[in-house]
Amino acid sequence: MVPAEWYLILAAAVFCIGVFGLLTRQNALLFLMSVELMLNAANINLAAFSYYWGNVTGQTFGLFVMALAAAEVAVGIGIILVLYRNFSAVDVTDATTMRW
Amino acid sequence: MNQWIAVGALALMGVGIPLGMIAVSSLIRPSVPEQGKSSTYESGEIPTKSAIGIQFNIQYYMVALLFVVFDIETVLLFPWTVIYQPALESGVGLMTLLFPMLVFIGVLVIGLVWAWRQGAVKWARSEAATRRKTEHNS
Amino acid sequence: MVVYPDWAALAPALALAVTGLVLLLIDSVDPDDSRPGLLAGTAVVGTLVSLGYAGWFLASGTGQVDGGTGAISLYRDALVVDGMALFFQAVFAVVTALVCIASYDYLKERAYQAEFYSLVMFAATGMAVMATANSLATAFIALELASLPSYALVAFLKHNRGSVEASLKYFLIGALSSAVFAFGISLVYAATGSLLLADVASALSALDGGLTGVAAIGVLMVAGGFAFKTASVPFHFWAPEAYEGAPAPISAFLSSASKAAGFAVLFRVFTTAFPLDAAGVDWMLLFQVLAVVTMTLGNFAAATQETVKRMLAYSSIGHAGYALIGLAAWSGGAPGSVENGAVLGASMAHLLVYGFMNTGAFLFVALAEQWDVGRTFEDYAGLGSRAPMASVAMTVFMFSLAGVPPFGGFFSKLFLFAGAVDAGFWWLAAVGVVNSTLSLYYYSRVVKALWVDDPVGEFELGGTPTGLYVAVVFAAVGTLLLLPGFAPVIETAQSVAAALVP
Repeated sequence: MVPAEWYLILAAAVFCIGVFGLLTRQNALLFLMSVELMLNAANINLAAFSYYWGNVTGQTFGLFVMALAAAEVAVGIGIILVLYRNFSAVDVTDATTMRW
Repeated sequence: MNQWIAVGALALMGVGIPLGMIAVSSLIRPSVPEQGKSSTYESGEIPTKSAIGIQFNIQYYMVALLFVVFDIETVLLFPWTVIYQPALESGVGLMTLLFPMLVFIGVLVIGLVWAWRQGAVKWARSEAATRRKTEHNS
Repeated sequence: MVVYPDWAALAPALALAVTGLVLLLIDSVDPDDSRPGLLAGTAVVGTLVSLGYAGWFLASGTGQVDGGTGAISLYRDALVVDGMALFFQAVFAVVTALVCIASYDYLKERAYQAEFYSLVMFAATGMAVMATANSLATAFIALELASLPSYALVAFLKHNRGSVEASLKYFLIGALSSAVFAFGISLVYAATGSLLLADVASALSALDGGLTGVAAIGVLMVAGGFAFKTASVPFHFWAPEAYEGAPAPISAFLSSASKAAGFAVLFRVFTTAFPLDAAGVDWMLLFQVLAVVTMTLGNFAAATQETVKRMLAYSSIGHAGYALIGLAAWSGGAPGSVENGAVLGASMAHLLVYGFMNTGAFLFVALAEQWDVGRTFEDYAGLGSRAPMASVAMTVFMFSLAGVPPFGGFFSKLFLFAGAVDAGFWWLAAVGVVNSTLSLYYYSRVVKALWVDDPVGEFELGGTPTGLYVAVVFAAVGTLLLLPGFAPVIETAQSVAAALVP
């Protein structure tokens, strides 16, 4: 059996890749993908420790996280579309009509 | 014997056979370089633009979004189907088991009906698209 | 006597959810929004039904300890209906009702009205469930249910650049913080093997060495997720942008109801799931630092603003700092003692008062937007003589927000700071008092503009929007009625807060 710590390390690595993408990319769609990676890192933990603890709570919650990620993307794409219509770009740094 | 050996063997076969076939065919086939082979469409159609930056009709997004949301919601049916039979056998009432899922699907149906009535799944023909098509055909 | 099924205790949340679905059905029958009165009416009736249930349950003792049924656990402890849940549900229902009444005028001649109201209803449902969440799973899902419609609502003016930009920033930070929150939950689950708050607490107390670090990071990340929802440091960046760009009724909704919902679930999760000494995280200290930084930053930034809406947005961050005192000073007494309930209850009462006065203030801004008078302090000059009733209401909100003695905001702050002093955190109270004094400066600028300053140019107010007026005046009456009625409010809040602590 793979030791539990390895899953933690894998999940942390995936999460960090997501954070890295989020900090370095300016394209809103790539931002969404990075967030998706971070959510899936949580899913790795949930599935692995569901097995470790011998209950299905983690797996079930993982399914909910997946469904929520899809819903979040649906709303996010909608917002990115109106962003594109108003600013003719999907660059998150372009929308600066207000003071930050 | 370790049960993982079978899995490993399967993986080895799965990767090995295609790689072997590619290697063997590249060894025995004749090589005839020709310009037509490296073009995008071997039928002779010349690509006019790059595929990057092309804009699709917004309706593709609408349908795709509806698909993603409803498709992913089915994920929530899985745990329910897993416990359905055992729960029924252990004496849980049919209504207690079925009713919550019916409510869940009912909520989704209301959403779908709403999207339908708003015209999200109606394939309206935009003038620009029609014009482009007729121009292309003529 | 009729015996109600257990799930009937969720009536305040269910009423909101059903109203949202009914609005979608109405919109399916009539996709052209040809009857805005019907849509607004349905929404308002739904919120009033929700408020009625919450008030009735609170009065009759449902889910409360003294003279009631005790906390009602539902769905294997995933949800719990107790006094605190009902208290917050009442706050959400009041704010949602005010927002819906005001939106009737704000939305005139705009498309997608039914969608607007149903999104508000779904967000309110999410908040009502957040108040009852007794497991990290339900907390996460309810939080997302409250957030996702909010993103769409902020972008409601989809041809307005400010609105779209605000929504983008809100969404980006929201998506980031929800990912952080989910990862934190997964780490807590990794360390404890459960998502139920009570089980998490007992597992954390008995944690063996190896997983302590994992649990500690998890707790910190969960705190980050809540910081977003309550617009506290370090996830507060979205707040000024989102509140300024959003349609004003939505700013009112987000800064009052959404913030209160964040605090509801924050209070429950941290008091029940994370014991103070477990996992090596002194989260008391964390929240003390956050409270001080949040209120200072919010108030100082508010003092430098030129537009009223943005000033209110920063002051809203400042008030999040005050409400955090409730958690930061929480551990003063022994478990289950009255002192524990005192400061937490004062914080909850402050959120109720804040619900009235802040909603009212943002709705006054909506009124000003409707009149098209402009956004800065100077633009408000002379409004006092043009629209005396609304200006009186705005004056009440401003003084109450600042915490000047004869208004509702004074009492809630008094109890909050007194509670902090009693718990031994006099320096928290001192920082709060200094910040309140500073806030008087920028709140009184609005009052001065309304009554003292002469208008810059001639302008005509275009009519009196009835719905907005009703909502503003009602909020003002609510703020004033909380003066004589503050005793029962603080008693209810403190008793339900005391019941929360095991």
